[in-house]
Amino acid sequence: MTSVVLKDIRKSFGSLEVIKAIDLEVEKGEFCVFVGPSGCGKSTLLRMISGLETSTSGQIVIDGEDVTHAEPSKRGIAMVFQSYALYPHLTVRENIGFGLSLAGRPKSEIATKVEKTAESLQLAHLLDRKPKALSGGQRQRVAIGRAIIRNPKVFLFDEPLSNLDAALRSQMRMELTDLHAKLGATMIYVTHDQVEAMTMANKIVVLNAGRIEQVGSPMELYNNPVSPFVAGFIGSPKMNLYEGEVAAAERCGTYGIRPEHLILSKSGGKWRGQVRHIERLGADTVVYLDHPELKQIVARAPGDFEVASGDEIYAMPMSGKEHRFG
Amino acid sequence: MVTQKSPYPYWFVLPAAIVFTVLFLVPTFASFWFSLTRWDLFSTQFIGLENYAQFLREPFLIQGTINTLIFAFATSATKTVIGLLLAVLLTSGIWAQGFLRTVVFFPVLVSTIGIGITFAALMHPTNGVINVALASIGLPGPGWLTDPVLALYSVIIVDLWKGVGLATLIYIAGLATISQDYYEAARMDGATRTQMFFRVTVPLVRPATVTVVTLSLIGGLRSFDLIWAMTRGGPGFSSDVLASVIYKQYQAGFYGLSTAGNVILFALIGLIILPLTVWFNRREVDL
Repeated sequence: MTSVVLKDIRKSFGSLEVIKAIDLEVEKGEFCVFVGPSGCGKSTLLRMISGLETSTSGQIVIDGEDVTHAEPSKRGIAMVFQSYALYPHLTVRENIGFGLSLAGRPKSEIATKVEKTAESLQLAHLLDRKPKALSGGQRQRVAIGRAIIRNPKVFLFDEPLSNLDAALRSQMRMELTDLHAKLGATMIYVTHDQVEAMTMANKIVVLNAGRIEQVGSPMELYNNPVSPFVAGFIGSPKMNLYEGEVAAAERCGTYGIRPEHLILSKSGGKWRGQVRHIERLGADTVVYLDHPELKQIVARAPGDFEVASGDEIYAMPMSGKEHRFG
Repeated sequence: MVTQKSPYPYWFVLPAAIVFTVLFLVPTFASFWFSLTRWDLFSTQFIGLENYAQFLREPFLIQGTINTLIFAFATSATKTVIGLLLAVLLTSGIWAQGFLRTVVFFPVLVSTIGIGITFAALMHPTNGVINVALASIGLPGPGWLTDPVLALYSVIIVDLWKGVGLATLIYIAGLATISQDYYEAARMDGATRTQMFFRVTVPLVRPATVTVVTLSLIGGLRSFDLIWAMTRGGPGFSSDVLASVIYKQYQAGFYGLSTAGNVILFALIGLIILPLTVWFNRREVDL
């Protein structure tokens, strides 16, 4: 069953069209991630679903109901902001119960629901603190609590982890995935970080310049990118992409091979290059080669791969792992 | 290398310290001293606390103090409320927003005495534009500045007109620091415009409120020029405030006595502002 349907959605600011005819269906219970570079329109699209931004044309349907012109609070959605938007003058308890208190719910009902929500997010001991006395991760959880308490049909997340440090980010990724599994709710999540997209999503929507480039599961996008843009955006280090003579020789417009699909060897291979830079990541070693024709080749080798800067080595694409576009 | 105990850095403080001492510290301590003397500008005679005793015996002191408090609290409260409302209006993207901001701020730039004289003319009981206009629609205009019950409040209205622009300006700056996310989060929660105003704007614009209340209260407590230009404390003593009582003593040549009055006014301001500041700071919010 579909939860969110976008039909020919467009958005213009003056003569500038930032969202160009987007059609998308998000199934009930799906964790859908909008990913793309800055300025691709992913946040605008999320804000249009939330109702904070109006659409220039098109239709938005949430849970079977046309909400194109409905107020944000009438759409059955909740949103977690990048800045968390926690009120600094209110305690955690008051922040989580803010929406219910606005709606004039009885105090006892608010208290019960706030405590239940706080319990589920391990915030019970922090209820009387102000946001400034919380860590980044705790603030994040309060923001999620404020969303959960409204019992929405759809959760919207606008780059919620971008203010956290790397370690906390990976922990919060896990917590959000757990939360999704526990609640079974539809979640739409905006990020520019392809790692977040790959690790959390059931469905990834890659956006570029206001258009959808590709929609699919993380592995679909990784294995079968439809365009050089998606190929370059999903996967880290990014795919080696070549145009010109190399591509022509492969009878395509752009030829691509992922760093992990190149076999490095000192004895022989397709391309011979000089090692310019080596990144030792522990489990893996990323090797950057200079090549007269290809300019740069990036390859991922095992962590203990023996190589030094200036070495001349060969790179060989694994058969069947090459990508040919256009 | 400069060691921590070197006097060298302090030489840089010296010019400012000299200016501060000559212009602020010396006059402050001198006024405490002169308030304890009989002083005719040329010679002083120490008389202890006699000036204070005499000042507190002033027949119109109580009326003047009450008027001062009414003036200060009424102007401060109205500037705070109207300043905030105007700032919200002038940041809402209304038509000719920039022009209207200038219009609201303009009276702040005009000389207080000029405003006082102009409004005294406008509020003239028979020939003033206000009463002439009221008469033309058949309404009898009151004696704005000649009715002892009304005079102080007439000046309060003019002071509000003159000062609300500054309060508005401070509030506009304060509103600009509130992230739109707070309003959007409230909108997602279904907040009405009124709820957003009272539950988001008012608490989050608090630092600006502290500035507006403190500045307007201090300004109101020591207000003199507008009152003097419009009523000279009259009719009778009905619109006298502490500062005009003190000024009348200066005019009469009682310099020591009036200096004692100034010290008392200073103490009164301190007694009101200090606890208020402590209370405000205790409830400070970080945006």
